[in-house]
Amino acid sequence: MLLFVCALASAGGHSVSAQTAEPAPSSPVALKKLSLRELMDIEVTSVSRNLTPLSQTAAAVQVITREDIRRSGATTLPEALRLAPNLLVAQVNSHDWAVTARGFNGISVSTGSLADKLLVMIDGRSIYTPLFGGVFWDAQFVPLDEIERIEVVSGPGGTLWGANAVNGIINIITRSAEDSQGGSVTVGLGSFLQKFGEARYGGTLGKDFFYRAYAQYFDADQTTRVTGLNGNDGWSTTQAGFRTDYRRSESDHLTVQGDVYEGNQGEPAATAFVNGQNVLARWTHTDSPDSDWVTQVYYDRTRRRFPTARFQEVLQTFDIDVQRRFPAGEQHSILWGVGYRHMWDSITPGNSFSFVPHQKVMRLFSGFVQDEITPTGTELRLTIGTKFEHNEFSGFEIQPSVRLAWTPTQQQMVWAAASRGVRSPARFDTELKTPTSLGNPDFAAEDVLAYELGYRVSPTEALSLSVAAFHNQYSNIRSFNINPATPGIGIIENDQEVTGFGIELSGAYQAATWWRLRGGYTYQEKEFRLRSTLAIPFSDAFEAQDPQDQIILQSVMDLPRGVQLDVVGRRVAELPPTALNPRIDPYTTADVRLGYTFGRWEVSAVAQNLAGNHAEFSSPILAFEIPRSYHGRLTFAW
Amino acid sequence: MVTPRIAFFAIALTVTGTLSAQTVADAEYRIKAVFLFNFVQFVEWPPNAFANENAPLALCVLGTDPFGESLDQVVAGESVQNRRLVVRRPNITEIDDCHLLFVSKSEQPRLGEVLQHVGSAPVLTVSDIDGFVTRGGTIGFYLDRKRVRFEISPSRAQTRGLKMSSQLLGLGKIHHSGPKGGGP
Repeated sequence: MLLFVCALASAGGHSVSAQTAEPAPSSPVALKKLSLRELMDIEVTSVSRNLTPLSQTAAAVQVITREDIRRSGATTLPEALRLAPNLLVAQVNSHDWAVTARGFNGISVSTGSLADKLLVMIDGRSIYTPLFGGVFWDAQFVPLDEIERIEVVSGPGGTLWGANAVNGIINIITRSAEDSQGGSVTVGLGSFLQKFGEARYGGTLGKDFFYRAYAQYFDADQTTRVTGLNGNDGWSTTQAGFRTDYRRSESDHLTVQGDVYEGNQGEPAATAFVNGQNVLARWTHTDSPDSDWVTQVYYDRTRRRFPTARFQEVLQTFDIDVQRRFPAGEQHSILWGVGYRHMWDSITPGNSFSFVPHQKVMRLFSGFVQDEITPTGTELRLTIGTKFEHNEFSGFEIQPSVRLAWTPTQQQMVWAAASRGVRSPARFDTELKTPTSLGNPDFAAEDVLAYELGYRVSPTEALSLSVAAFHNQYSNIRSFNINPATPGIGIIENDQEVTGFGIELSGAYQAATWWRLRGGYTYQEKEFRLRSTLAIPFSDAFEAQDPQDQIILQSVMDLPRGVQLDVVGRRVAELPPTALNPRIDPYTTADVRLGYTFGRWEVSAVAQNLAGNHAEFSSPILAFEIPRSYHGRLTFAW
Repeated sequence: MVTPRIAFFAIALTVTGTLSAQTVADAEYRIKAVFLFNFVQFVEWPPNAFANENAPLALCVLGTDPFGESLDQVVAGESVQNRRLVVRRPNITEIDDCHLLFVSKSEQPRLGEVLQHVGSAPVLTVSDIDGFVTRGGTIGFYLDRKRVRFEISPSRAQTRGLKMSSQLLGLGKIHHSGPKGGGP
């Protein structure tokens, strides 16, 4: 019997330069393609960044705004991510989540998920861990109030963004310090989320230098296991941070930001302690409306420690990226970038598992080039590009893509894309050591060939709809094999192939000036095949436990006298049983928020998960039931 | 394996060239030009605002034109409610067949005179002069954290026979200028 017990650790990640400035196409004709709402988001000074506006991107993009998050009553980042209809989000226990796009929410390891096919960035700082290629969501504490927007791209985005963007990218973008001037204090109390508080102050030195600082505290209760026992998974975290934005001139913008955090997460067997620090600097130099340089460096340290299991991991990451955009003739816009990432970790082996070697330096070299071609006199836009990476485990990887957009009218767009995405091997695949299984130094990168087709239409200014269909051919997917050389000890190999397909629908509708609706439906299906007779037949059970479909609907209402009534409802299909996990029942639930603003005060009451106790994800031994909960919060802003 | 500490704070800022203030102003008015184009799609004029069925819908710029060519580029070849859009740059005595009248900042000293001239004709007046809506205009641009926003007086549009869509009202800041006020 293979037993992959592994109490995992830390954050760190992968590369790429941030594209944080609101895209401001410089030509009036390009601006015409924006909706009035989008126009209102453009900074008149950011004449640079002739980026394609999100609504015109030839990819399945969803954007969650700060207002969407605030009005949802979400209290953690993964709860906010539920608002993207193209993400599959399951709460594993009080502090762990499984998050993916287009499937592959991998098995619960210890308690989190092995999901490893998303690239997640906070202001351009990658947060996935090279330990297993996923994200420790319980160490990611961006204050939700400081998030400007979250861009979620489903489908491969490796050409620009790099490895692990196999099934999608989550790009979390915080507000400029210039946009968060003044102070605010929030306190809250609740039944599951028991106590939280946040204080923030933003100010200015001179007329070009803006800063803000914040601190927040969060304390959540434990869940109950399906067996009726206590989950022992309560948790709390404290995080503080700052951001400064300096507009040295109209063409130079410097951002420096950083965070420190500390927390503890209960586990049924052993409490984990995490802490970390990060700091990032980004310099944007705009030399003409169509060309700019972006240079970004960051350092991130994160530690996760399980005293009773002895295991500890400390990961440090240093990253530098440079990106250049410039026009070439009338029809071409070239974007290229280079990056280097230096990661080094140190592991204290656990009682029953380890990663060998205990210390490792991981270097990642990357470069990409992309040409956006807009043939004059046509409504077409062709984007071709590729990324080259050299990683410590599998060497060179190439991730090309071709995207074509056709905009026959201002209100609609048809797009198609073909791309290759790669998931680099992680230490889990190559260097894991347990009594029953071994990582494989020859483990190759997993890859996907993805074909996508999409259509976006805005029949009226009040209504926008989008549909995206995908067909993915994955090869070299991880398998767990019998190793004839070492009977009784399995080995990790690349012996699965997967075909996946699905469709994503989403829409937004301004039903009245006071009532806005948004939401979507996602359907996905996958078929696993084994390529070797040595692979254990239920290898697929480790890689994916996904619902076939889900529906999400958010309603935001501004009632008279400053009253806000907001609802987020969702229905998630069953997680079918696997050889390792029992079935998880389908569920329908809703979060309701009632808010009231008077002067500088805002008070709100939120009921989360109205349907009550249900499990959203399972693991061989444990499943946790997420309770119905209530919390109230009071904010004073000045 | 050692874990070297890397000092990474120092970033040399070498500034090569700056954008002129003019370029930024251009960007601002490119955006405002597209706003004007959007406004006419959300407003319905009464039939008597047009000389005949084929009369175009005229966007007029009064005073020093801050848009350069961008307004012409935005409007070129477009039509709204089956009426061709045209851009005109009339003087104050020639504004009778304007449907949207953008009042340039150069007209600030004689804004009262301009608005008096418009009277209660079915003309959508727009400007970025400070306090434009308070002083009797219908839509006023302002900048909020370097983004273009607009203030709008639904009651004043109503008295001119202009119907505004609720989407437009939802995006603008409502100015309660009339006796009845407006908006939710």
